[in-house]
Amino acid sequence: MKKKILPPKIPGLLIELFAWYDDSYVVLGDVCEEYYEISESRGRTYAKLWFWKQCLKTFPVFINDFILWRMVMFKNYLKVALRTVRKQKGYAFINIAGLAVGMAACLLIFLWIHDELSYDMYHENADRIYRLTIDANMGTQMKVPVSPTPAGPAMVEEYPEVLRSARLTRPNRSPVIVGEKDYFEENVAFADNSLFAIFSFPFLEGDPKTALATAYSAVITQDIAKKYFGSESPIGKMIKFDGPNEYAIMGVVENVPKNSHFQFNILRSMETRYAEARDLMENWLAVSQYTYVLLDENADPKGFEQKLPAFIDKNMGAILKAYGASLVLHLQPLKRIHLHSDFPGDIAAQGDIRSVYLFAAIALFVLIIACINFVNLSTARSAIRAKEVGMRKTLGAVRHRLVGQFLGESVLYSMLSLILAVGLILAAMPWFNALLGRRLSLNILQVPWLIPGFIGLALIVGITAGSYPAFFLSSFHPVRVLRGRAKAGTQNLRFRRILVVVQFAISIVLIIGTMMIYKQLTYMKLKELGFDKEHVVVLPGLGGVMAASYDTMRNEFKNIQGVANVGASSMVPGQGITKSLFQPEGFAKEQSQPMDYRSIDPDYLATLEIDIVIGRNFSSDLATDKTESALINKTAADKFGWDDPIGKQFILDSDQSDQEGETRINVIGVVEDYHSTSLREKIDPMILFYDPTQCTTFSIRIAPTHIQKTLSLIRDKWKTILPQKPFDYFFLDDSFDSQYRAEERMGKLSLRFCLLAILIGCLGLFGMASYTTEQRTKEIGIRKVLGASTGLIVRLLSKEYIVLVAVGNLIAWPVAYFLIKSWLDNFAYRTSLALWVFVAAAALSLAVALLTVSYQSIKAAFSDPVKSLRYE
Amino acid sequence: MKEPTKIEEILLVAIWHLEKQAYGVKIRQYVSTIIEKQLTYGHLYSTLNQLVIKKFVTKSVGKPAARRLGRPRIYYSLTPEGIDALKAAQAMYEKLWSGISRHALEKVK
Repeated sequence: MKKKILPPKIPGLLIELFAWYDDSYVVLGDVCEEYYEISESRGRTYAKLWFWKQCLKTFPVFINDFILWRMVMFKNYLKVALRTVRKQKGYAFINIAGLAVGMAACLLIFLWIHDELSYDMYHENADRIYRLTIDANMGTQMKVPVSPTPAGPAMVEEYPEVLRSARLTRPNRSPVIVGEKDYFEENVAFADNSLFAIFSFPFLEGDPKTALATAYSAVITQDIAKKYFGSESPIGKMIKFDGPNEYAIMGVVENVPKNSHFQFNILRSMETRYAEARDLMENWLAVSQYTYVLLDENADPKGFEQKLPAFIDKNMGAILKAYGASLVLHLQPLKRIHLHSDFPGDIAAQGDIRSVYLFAAIALFVLIIACINFVNLSTARSAIRAKEVGMRKTLGAVRHRLVGQFLGESVLYSMLSLILAVGLILAAMPWFNALLGRRLSLNILQVPWLIPGFIGLALIVGITAGSYPAFFLSSFHPVRVLRGRAKAGTQNLRFRRILVVVQFAISIVLIIGTMMIYKQLTYMKLKELGFDKEHVVVLPGLGGVMAASYDTMRNEFKNIQGVANVGASSMVPGQGITKSLFQPEGFAKEQSQPMDYRSIDPDYLATLEIDIVIGRNFSSDLATDKTESALINKTAADKFGWDDPIGKQFILDSDQSDQEGETRINVIGVVEDYHSTSLREKIDPMILFYDPTQCTTFSIRIAPTHIQKTLSLIRDKWKTILPQKPFDYFFLDDSFDSQYRAEERMGKLSLRFCLLAILIGCLGLFGMASYTTEQRTKEIGIRKVLGASTGLIVRLLSKEYIVLVAVGNLIAWPVAYFLIKSWLDNFAYRTSLALWVFVAAAALSLAVALLTVSYQSIKAAFSDPVKSLRYE
Repeated sequence: MKEPTKIEEILLVAIWHLEKQAYGVKIRQYVSTIIEKQLTYGHLYSTLNQLVIKKFVTKSVGKPAARRLGRPRIYYSLTPEGIDALKAAQAMYEKLWSGISRHALEKVK
């Protein structure tokens, strides 16, 4: 009967929720009392309206007070939180350190990802810049990021939506001669003047409009200017490269930002190339330069791409038809080049969106593990806080206020962790940069989201990690808690078990992944390459002088003590490939096959220890070997179906040889397949010609002892033969292995983060083990009194964790299997997905888990039962 | 000694006036008639709380009642400091308004 005139509930609840001071529970009583009065005198409807109005008007005042009141309570909460940290130093340390390490790892990775995503974004016109790439079919499909040399200028002329085009040659290492001094400079390239109109490279000196407009002009970067000329102005100074001509420096630009997909130190004018080899610049079959175009603001790139087949047809149709080839031009947006392109022979090693995803996932996993840890440790320590909760509740604390308190506490922990994490990041930054070859920094000016991002992360971590313990802790029943020990419910235990399983599953996936990356790396380094890369010194960049001094150099180098053999070639393995179409016997001209071709001398094969399987090597005694003989590799013989390749022929037309008309080349031998590029690529059919004049490098096999002495002898010899040319060399194994730098980095990174994940996971496990053993103190005491041995108790306490780790393994294996399999598919030659890796990961995880747990269980097993049973 | 604000002053007078009946509902109703507009409970308790903090009043808990959803009344009474504050206020007002009739103010308007 009374129920009928009960006041409305909702506004009452609102008041309750927001009345944070002592008398809040009285307020509703007052409102109700008056409600009844009013409903008796003026009717229920009016009373209800009054009630609503009263409650809603009360609201703003309460919120105001709420904030004031929180300040007072906040002091108390902070005091209690800091007291907890002080009282339980070990656990606070594990908690904060775990979170800090997780956060530092996560933030470092996100800094790296931010850097990866920032590539080429700084160009003013970044949205409108496109690179021309081709998709050509010349016997086989090839996709390359280069385009026919005349394509850019022709496009500007024919299509109004193309505002400008600029070409760039592949930046490479080149000698630079400044006055009397000579240097070697990386990243020297030829470029059109319009490059500066398309990209934003600020000029410090010189005029961007004319800097590269004339032949024999060059633009250098700030660093180079400082290196060569100190504080003097470089404008108008003359420098020489590998040729006899002098280049005038016409401009100095700021250093190219690290996050640019191509780097240059010196640019030489493309006009020079026109002056030196005009026919090559106008040849549509010359496909080696990178072309960038700037589209009009209103242009539709998709629509423009549709017009490109007509463009190719108009300019190249006839030539393509003659070769039976096809070529499709594509536009690649500048912003996608760094992360989304997957071309062989790109302008520089580019990133990969997949590794961005991979490391983002790792970062997230490490963070999740750290959070799980926090949850585990906080709930495990709940028994200690239980009394506090009971006391607070008895004194009138409401549950949501306790939730607030514990959430605040975990946010405090995560903020402390953040401070520690920033310290860790600063400490790890040089190492991380060295590992990645980057220049990341905690520079707020460069990365404006840094501070809000960090604080945001700390808040998110604090709230997610703190929410479960907060709700769990605040749910304690005061009477039960204060009467005796708080027993955690089984549901809570199950929840924590699941967390531990997840933690271990993630760690195991990381362990397996890391092991497989290293396995593949070792496989690639140890695999028989078909040649011996050890102890070979390579002297590169001899293209200009080979014709004149090949014989002298070869003989002089060969006579040096400690040199076993000397061979010349146009390229050494690991430098890249040069492909062209060849017409083997039995194939029509239209079926010409792409083959990797090199020029060598007879000693080259012996120097690199490449075997000849059938037939014979080139001979310097036979004049015909230079003009009409060739060696092929086994893959080529297999591909053309030649069971007996000796005497088979290739037909070269006038384009490819110096003589008029058709030339026939005889195969005189077959060499063993060898890897001229990384093991990611399959071995291609290869053809070798005997032509020292086309060679650009000498490979010198030296004795494994006295390497330094032999090197200096080679250098001395070089100085006497080529006094004007700076001495340059590299070791073949170094340069070949450098192709795997990306994989090596990935391996190193994932190894580090894997160790971190395991470390954090162990911290969590340690905390949980200490909790459960603490819970079972009495049980252990009774068991000991009844005669259980130490071993038995250790086994009893460890059994549970073995099960958890085993379940973690079961979950992790299939995940790891699919991840690794898809990664290995990137390699043409790959190691097997061995079972032992999985077993080893399982064993490792078990061992680590047992070691972590054993400290607690052994301590419990050795404890004195009298002490454990006496309490209470 | 802390000075009461104007609304606090009004509440102090109300509590003195209501004597043993000085609890939430009665104070609110009394004050609402004095100031001729409705005082909300939020405002009331916020101010009462300030008075407690400033030690002008003390509270005592009464009996819970069914009409109040089982919540007790809290009765407020003046402390000696509260009475001193009222005396000081009264003295100040007398000095402030001495010699000014209502009539005089109306003329200004």
